[in-house]
Amino acid sequence: MLSYILKRILSLIPTLFIVSIVVFLVVYMIPGGPATAILGMEATADEIAALNAELGFDRPFLVQYADWLGGVFQGDWGQSYFLDMSVLEAINEYFWPTLSLAIFAELISLLLSIPLGIIAAYKRGTVADIATVSVSLLGIALPGFLLSMFLMLFFGVTLKWLPVAGYAPLSKGLLTHLRYLVLPALSLGLVQAAYITRMTRSSMLDVLYMNYIRTARAKGLKEAVVVLVYGLKNAAPTVLTVIGQSFGSLVTGTIVTESIFNIPGLGQLTMSAITRRDVFVIQGVVLFITLIYVLVNLAVDIFYGIVDPRIQLGRK
Amino acid sequence: MKLNLKRFLALALSACMLLSATACGSSEQGSTSGEYKTELNIAINANPPSLDVPAVNSNIVGGIGMHIYEPLFALNQDAQPTAVLAESYEVSSDGKTYTIKIREGVKFHNGQELTADDVVASMTRWLEKSSKAAPLLGGSTFAKVDDHTITMTMPEAYSDALSVLAGNIQWAAIMPASVVEAATEEGISEYIGTGPYKLAEWKQDQYVHLTKYDEYQQPEGESSGFTGKKEAATKDLYFRIVTDSTTRVAGVQTGEYDIVEGVSSEQYADLTTDENVALYTKTAGTLNLFFNTTVGIMANEGVRDAIMMALNCDEISLGAYGDENLYVVNPGWCNPADAQWGTEAGSEVYNKGDAEGAKKAAAAAGYKGEEIVLVTTPDYPEMYNATLVVSQQLIEAGFNAVVKESDFATFMERRADVNQFSLFITSNSYNLSPVQLAVVGQAWAGLDAPEVAEGLSAIRLAASAEDSRAAWEDLQSFLYEYGAACVLGHYSGVIASGAEVEGFNYFNFPVYWNVKVPA
Repeated sequence: MLSYILKRILSLIPTLFIVSIVVFLVVYMIPGGPATAILGMEATADEIAALNAELGFDRPFLVQYADWLGGVFQGDWGQSYFLDMSVLEAINEYFWPTLSLAIFAELISLLLSIPLGIIAAYKRGTVADIATVSVSLLGIALPGFLLSMFLMLFFGVTLKWLPVAGYAPLSKGLLTHLRYLVLPALSLGLVQAAYITRMTRSSMLDVLYMNYIRTARAKGLKEAVVVLVYGLKNAAPTVLTVIGQSFGSLVTGTIVTESIFNIPGLGQLTMSAITRRDVFVIQGVVLFITLIYVLVNLAVDIFYGIVDPRIQLGRK
Repeated sequence: MKLNLKRFLALALSACMLLSATACGSSEQGSTSGEYKTELNIAINANPPSLDVPAVNSNIVGGIGMHIYEPLFALNQDAQPTAVLAESYEVSSDGKTYTIKIREGVKFHNGQELTADDVVASMTRWLEKSSKAAPLLGGSTFAKVDDHTITMTMPEAYSDALSVLAGNIQWAAIMPASVVEAATEEGISEYIGTGPYKLAEWKQDQYVHLTKYDEYQQPEGESSGFTGKKEAATKDLYFRIVTDSTTRVAGVQTGEYDIVEGVSSEQYADLTTDENVALYTKTAGTLNLFFNTTVGIMANEGVRDAIMMALNCDEISLGAYGDENLYVVNPGWCNPADAQWGTEAGSEVYNKGDAEGAKKAAAAAGYKGEEIVLVTTPDYPEMYNATLVVSQQLIEAGFNAVVKESDFATFMERRADVNQFSLFITSNSYNLSPVQLAVVGQAWAGLDAPEVAEGLSAIRLAASAEDSRAAWEDLQSFLYEYGAACVLGHYSGVIASGAEVEGFNYFNFPVYWNVKVPA
């Protein structure tokens, strides 16, 4: 198990290297440098070129990349041109709102999707099942930004129950923190819930009609134990994979929701860094997101072994 | 199974109730004290790239900076240059030297007293950095006479020198000499001024927090534009960066934000019926079409004239702004309300919308279906929409118009290279003097005609204001006749506030001193 985890972590290195070179190349090839964003609309070409040169942005690709890579090996991911902080400080600052939002959204989605998925599978073919499947299909089809707008207008503008936008860090108190996260988390969580409900239902259906479930019932076990212990535990690997993917996408793919609800998270940082051509921030965030995604998947793999001892990681 | 389900439902309901209770809790924003709020929440649409006012051409930077720094002279409500940090001034008999006395007893936010050294350092850097100052006062020098007197010596007797000093784009903010000396190519690193507010905190991409400067020394006179009394009526100003315009507007409707900048034309129509919201509009600049005048088929003046003939500016402006209340079609490059520079010179070739005439004129000029490339960016919807309408009008007039769109940075690179565009559209804020307009600069769209330099010189060295205006009318006519560029319309900026907001003045920038909101 330990060697498997080590191997997986080592396999990250070439992945991160390839990602970094591709991103650096893409950013290098697209026109415009940070000077355009710094100097504004009426800057002349000469002024832009002079500032880009001052920032070292006019040097050959390999020189810039080697310079950056050398820094990374020494723990220096570069400096943001705009934020008056290093890339690592920026990631540290912008990551926590995103993580909070992702955890809250995932909790909402799990609270809804797991019970609904189990009920739909257990009551297959009934009105409850059809309703669950229909609503989850609708949820998958609904664009996230539309749901966000609807939630904002209904709960924020019309009912005035919740703030329409903004963010309060945890240091302002848990309740205030959550208050600002309710609408964006609902927006993200409902869409994720639709997907997880569908997958929970289908993986439960795969196991609920198997012989060992019939045997468990024949033994006289309570129905709840049969479904939740014998059924759910065996459906868990699939469900865990989906949850892992869902959490990974929540941490790394909240650009639209963060923009609409004005949450200063990684999504907003990515968006504004691209607009401003803040090269090292783009590079740092993409590497960080890749790292998070791979680590989340690794965690899911480790969980497989815990919930189902038949799966032994690293053994052939 | 049923029992567990009930337990789960009970748990879920409890969580929902807790969140609802949380939701009704006290607001994070909007502290109050007594009759008025002590916090003013202003939603702006972008993170300022810096607060280095002279070095960055950005309304957000200039607008926030106006609360932190002060200039020697600024514009009053009637657009007249008026002393702020200056106390008085004299002009030498040859008109080339201004001797300016500085107010005594003014202190920077760091407690240091304002002296002539600070003014000389700040003004020298302004002249070097500001794209609005360098072309107008280039070659001028600032020198200290005594601790509270400086001189500005110009190579020529420029009649508009005081107006340039009082300009509000990349304006002449006075900061401590130590800050200026520590500045690098990337800008200053400390934001210290003498204004009614000082910088308390700048949380990147979230907010810029200014707080009242208790030792602020009021300039003389009643509050007027950027001059006179500036009372920090609300203790704390939060410029909150809210990039999504729907979110900004929803925020002012719910009271989350007291004032929001950058209301779009679509939202303007919706908000006019909301009695809890007050709207402020102000013509703020022009939407302009610039022609490539030097490369390929666009070097052919006859083709440019034919394109000019095809343009219907009413349709283009409507496409760009969507509401007739938000634009005015007028050929002037300066504010039509400006008594000195507002002129309709060139109107004989303006806004013709004559597709058939354009087709014939283009054929006569030797146009044979060459590609007319319009570069644009969807990042600025009004520029993008106007480009699409122009392209359609050109196609109807028989031109082979092609739109090339990209993100803002790429667009800026394309429009700076005469080999990459035939036409492009940008919106530009008004300038104090036509000499500062982007259209007359060769760097902007490559315009290289001796008539432009001659016209600029005639404007600046004219013996009287009338002569200066006549020279500008000639130059504006030339720009249209030569097919250099075209003003498609004059746009209005829109700001919305809660109906209860008091003392707000939407001058050239929104002015937030004197603003208060009942608790």
